[in-house]
Amino acid sequence: MLLIDADVHESFAGIRDLIPYLKEPYREWIERGAWRGFSQPFAYTSPGSGNRADVRNADGSASVSDYGVMRRQLLDTYNQTYAVLTGYFYPTMLKLQYGLSSALASAYNDFVAEHWLAKDKRFIGSIQINARDPEAAAYEIDRMAAHPQIKQVMLPVVDDIAYGHPMYRPIFAAAERHALVIALHHTILAEGPFGMGLHYIERHTLLPTSMMAEVISLILNGVFDGYPSLRFIILEGGFSWLPHLMWRMDREYRQGRVEVPWVKKLPSQHMRERLRFSTQPAEDLTADQWLKLIDLMGSDEYLIFSTDYPHFDFDDPRVSIPRSLPDALQEKIFWKNGAWLYGLEAPAQ
Amino acid sequence: MNRHRVCRADEVASNAMKPVAMGRATILLTRLPSGEIKAVGSRCPHQGANLEYGCLTGHAHSDQPNVLLMDRPGQILRCPWHGFEFDLCSGESVADQGKLRLRRFDVEIENGDVFIVM
Repeated sequence: MLLIDADVHESFAGIRDLIPYLKEPYREWIERGAWRGFSQPFAYTSPGSGNRADVRNADGSASVSDYGVMRRQLLDTYNQTYAVLTGYFYPTMLKLQYGLSSALASAYNDFVAEHWLAKDKRFIGSIQINARDPEAAAYEIDRMAAHPQIKQVMLPVVDDIAYGHPMYRPIFAAAERHALVIALHHTILAEGPFGMGLHYIERHTLLPTSMMAEVISLILNGVFDGYPSLRFIILEGGFSWLPHLMWRMDREYRQGRVEVPWVKKLPSQHMRERLRFSTQPAEDLTADQWLKLIDLMGSDEYLIFSTDYPHFDFDDPRVSIPRSLPDALQEKIFWKNGAWLYGLEAPAQ
Repeated sequence: MNRHRVCRADEVASNAMKPVAMGRATILLTRLPSGEIKAVGSRCPHQGANLEYGCLTGHAHSDQPNVLLMDRPGQILRCPWHGFEFDLCSGESVADQGKLRLRRFDVEIENGDVFIVM
């Protein structure tokens, strides 16, 4: 079966890998250790400290930066047709020094193009941006969009940005200009409505609420209406909450449309037409629960399979989606829905 | 086709819903700014609120976020409970056309009297 994996996290071995791609003065800053990269504000409790514990280099060191390991453990093991690289280095997490942040995004994009995309035609690329400087982000999108494997712009979900705010419009205009998908993915700063809680498990459970907040912001502030050909995907943010959000937003819209008349359709219609979800973490639903949920969603076109490799909560495509689901539905989840979103065709044999 | 006289035309004002009895049912009359009289059922198709207490307003519209415009004054009826909007000319829900619709009645004016045609 053809298979698109919508959420695969490539990385570098360390921030110094970006030095050859950085412009001055930021190259000099990183060379002298002025900044050592992001560090999560919590401890991971999984055996691999955030990653699968078996993602290791030949010498036993942990690896999220080795193409050979990824090819063996992911691409070849599961015979993946395409793997969408989504990174986990999101310069938007820097809350100041926008010039550095934008330069880091550019450097990372060039690093990924050379060290990942160029090595395997199965990779689909995403553009990293500094969303806090939307004009610079748009420039970076324009710069990278011509790459034939680039299909997407990453919008990192942090703790202080709801992307419906008008200041972010240049990002959406640039993405629409190049027919790129907008992907929302959490970061180590993402949290729930009352913060991260007191435990990592609290924060991780809360992540879907941040995605719901982003969808609400994007639709009610007119991004879906303002950029009518733009498509969106929620990565690693859950999906079983979709029926609730559709019903809730439609009800709110029927009674409160007067405040947001620039929204021209029921929110559920916007979602149905242009919002998609990656499946991981698949929440260990039974086949019967999958079918009931899809019935409540009103469409079998929302879901796109993802593994989240190499992270600890990885979903195995052979197990996480029940094999007893109808073949046609499996084909949509593993292939057709993703092929539609990214405009992909099956590779020539 | 039956015609039922329900009131005098000069009893129907703008910016107000006038209830009139039609057998056991109640019909609401209002006058648009153009002078035309409209007649609709008295219950909201959503949860049955009495639309006599609804709000007559205009049509909020915009193509630009954070810019609110209003046109068609007096042609939109908002339910007194949830604020659902209904177009008095078409009966349609403004937010959800084709799903919810007011019951509408044809109106004729003759010699200063209002007739509901059914």
